[in-house]
Amino acid sequence: MEKFTLIGKNMKRIDTAAKATGEAIFSADLTLPRMLIGKALRSPYPHARIVAIDTSKAERLPGVKAVITAKDMCGDKWGVFRYTQDQQFLPTEKVRYVGEEVAAVAAIDEDTALQALTLIDVQYEALPSVFTIDDAIAAGAPQLHDAYPNNINVHVKIDVGDIEKGFNESYLVREDTFSAPEDAYFQGEPYAVVAQFDQAGNLEIWMPNAGPHMKAKPLSNVLKIPLNKVRVRKITIGGAFGGRSEISPADVICAFLARKALRPVKIVYTREENTVATRQAHALVTKIKTGVDREGKVLARDITCHMDGGAYSSTGPIATSVPFLCMEQAYRMDNVRYNGYRILTNKPIRGMYRVHGRAFACGIDIQLDMIGAALGIDPLTMRLRNARQTGDYTPTKSYVASCGMTESIVKAGEKSGWKEKFGKLPPYHGIGIGCNSVQTGFPMGIRGGSQAFIKLNEDGGITVITGIVDNGQGNDNMVVQIAAEELGLTPDDVQLISADTEVTPSDPGSYAMCETFIGGNAVRLAAQDVKKKLFRIVAGEFGIGVDNLTARDRKIFVTENPEKSMSIAKAVRIALSRNESISGEGSYWPNVDPKREWVKNPYGQLSETFSFGTVIAEVKVDPETGQVEVLEVTAAQDVGFALNPQVIEGQFEGGVAMGGQGGMLSEFLQWHEGRVLNPTQFGYLVPLAIDMPKINNIIVETIDPNGPYGAKEAGMSVAMSAAQAYCGAISNAVGVYFHDYPITPDKIVKAIEEKRN
Amino acid sequence: MKEMKRYSLTLTVNNETHAVVTPPNRTLLEVLRDDLQLTGTKEGCGEGACGSCTVLVDGQPVRSCLTLAVAMEGRKITTIEGLAQGGKLHPIQAAFVENHAIQCGFCGPGMILTSQALLNDNPTPAEGEIRRAISGNVCRCTGYAKIVKAVQSLAGEER
Repeated sequence: MEKFTLIGKNMKRIDTAAKATGEAIFSADLTLPRMLIGKALRSPYPHARIVAIDTSKAERLPGVKAVITAKDMCGDKWGVFRYTQDQQFLPTEKVRYVGEEVAAVAAIDEDTALQALTLIDVQYEALPSVFTIDDAIAAGAPQLHDAYPNNINVHVKIDVGDIEKGFNESYLVREDTFSAPEDAYFQGEPYAVVAQFDQAGNLEIWMPNAGPHMKAKPLSNVLKIPLNKVRVRKITIGGAFGGRSEISPADVICAFLARKALRPVKIVYTREENTVATRQAHALVTKIKTGVDREGKVLARDITCHMDGGAYSSTGPIATSVPFLCMEQAYRMDNVRYNGYRILTNKPIRGMYRVHGRAFACGIDIQLDMIGAALGIDPLTMRLRNARQTGDYTPTKSYVASCGMTESIVKAGEKSGWKEKFGKLPPYHGIGIGCNSVQTGFPMGIRGGSQAFIKLNEDGGITVITGIVDNGQGNDNMVVQIAAEELGLTPDDVQLISADTEVTPSDPGSYAMCETFIGGNAVRLAAQDVKKKLFRIVAGEFGIGVDNLTARDRKIFVTENPEKSMSIAKAVRIALSRNESISGEGSYWPNVDPKREWVKNPYGQLSETFSFGTVIAEVKVDPETGQVEVLEVTAAQDVGFALNPQVIEGQFEGGVAMGGQGGMLSEFLQWHEGRVLNPTQFGYLVPLAIDMPKINNIIVETIDPNGPYGAKEAGMSVAMSAAQAYCGAISNAVGVYFHDYPITPDKIVKAIEEKRN
Repeated sequence: MKEMKRYSLTLTVNNETHAVVTPPNRTLLEVLRDDLQLTGTKEGCGEGACGSCTVLVDGQPVRSCLTLAVAMEGRKITTIEGLAQGGKLHPIQAAFVENHAIQCGFCGPGMILTSQALLNDNPTPAEGEIRRAISGNVCRCTGYAKIVKAVQSLAGEER
């Protein structure tokens, strides 16, 4: 008998048929009786004092049902951390970026709402602005917030071992600086919110989110209503990619408009608003000094990184740490110092992104190529000599319980023909490699764990109740797959209630790649709880021990004698007739160090486990135009265990598109005095089908000791290492190491010209 | 606000006729979503660049966000809701589901209709032809590999 019936198999996702027929409802598709349309008025200034706001004309416009400004709120400031509470949902004193919300209206239709916005009179007093990291930290620079002197929002300092000694003992030391401008999430679905209050003052709200409970708490705080009156509802979500976890001003504004108008309100962002007024990815500049021995083993690293965080903290302390943490996980480095600074500028707010800190990761990796070239060691060998291993501790003291870094390097190397190709390709052909590692969650305070319930029906079917949210990656299916597997049911026997804060218990959300590991474990434990109770009933009926039973094909049978069985439905009915509870409960809290804190104490177990990935890319560069043709990409990642292999392949392929093809070739935001010049689909170049190369997927399985069935995460390590591999491949093809990303044709042509001269 | 003149027209959508009264400046996308409640058609960019709003007009893929509803009188419009018949997925929808070509699903309706239009014109497209045909439809999740595979799975059957 096979070990599993569903787990590890290519299971058709439970949610995609409704998406294929158009039946799946996204937030903007919702219509409620008497619903109004909401719109936000946005600041045209990057930095200005709000002198006065006159909304009287807008209020008098027929069809306008509510107008709100900061006066309607209590002036509360939101922050992910206690020490980063700096953002008002509608500002009282000043605006800090072009596009910041200053007022909002709800009207009977969109045209009326837009007209009402033109009737709101805001008097601003323009203030001097800062748009770059250098300008923001210069002496005498305009200050964005009193709480952050010199516009330094966050400083993360990590110091491990003895870097001076490491550099002294090094055979070769290099120092380089790498940089990249901001990138955009560009989720398929533009942001949208629908909110309504019932007569008892309960809020119902729908929006794309990466964690309904993460949204509910700040809504409860700012609306001054208890959490059990905030009902973030489940809705189909058109992508998150690291964004959409935090509360958005749109959520709060929509709720306030609905409360003031006493009618449901819908806000749908334009593509431009989605780019400017949700979150963006950080720009960064990082200086990396690395010392190695003769064999290329890293002995010391000193890294200083400045990230442009925009106008508010958002997830600042996390964002400032993660680029470093990913690389300290991927590669061994015993003596290391990291100084990460998040700097505030008069630009839109930056958050965590799937390819967060591309210049950081590419810098670490391409510098290994440079060092390898000086030592006569090829890039793949450089990675093998520094690869993280199972049983290691990272510099910041996380134990690595399972690690397939080496295996992913070796397998990607074999599949891509690295040995035959590196150094042997024709001119302007190149091959490059990148490695990365990602967390499966990190200390998230009170919301660090996940709980799940399972309810049984008398026909043997179950309902799983969990806070897990699906942003499109297939989390709903993962839940059903695990519950059905554990209880010997088919996916059709499982109903799912998820991502609804009224009925589902706490869960960290689809954040930091933790849903499979943390939420999946909770669901599995809940199913095991049910199974234990069912087995007790069947064992009693059969007069045998519970250890001799198996659940499969909707039956519970004697493992050694499968003919002797009882249907799960019958076992449930026996339980009901005896008034015996057979509902299940599962709770999982990851083994992370609760004392670890991003700024104050960045040491201790960060995440219970980590994924490891390697991407190798082969490219051809046109020296005349600078165009890059990507010939083939090989993506390998240690995912722990592949619960649903095709879903994982889809993550790899999407990761190559986002991190490599988009992140390293075309995607970046352009600016003029704090204004995004390319916020629209025409301006911001995301990869198309015709751009994408052939992708070889290699799933590496290390069977993590604590992951559900050994699973870890699948969404990020490839996405990040794809950027690094593309960078290495283009550098290899051109014969110039690139320091500024993305590597657009103009940079390539310039590099070739400079090399010729 | 001055009321714009409204026009009465008959739209044929998924083989059903609908009497619509609308100002002339409204797009087919707005009328489909707001008047006919056919919300399977999505707005991703509003400028004709992402393909999420693709519908078929007389069998050809068209951006409904750039198409005025009043220009659609007498044309045969197919939206994503018009593909499945009798509760059974259309082969192109089944191929997308089977091949894991859908993740978040926001681009799905447009992508599926564009793919079907290709297969209607060319039942045996080569991989490059598929990629070209769907390159007006942006997908942020999949990297397109499984979408191409889904379309290929039907192209294969025709051969």
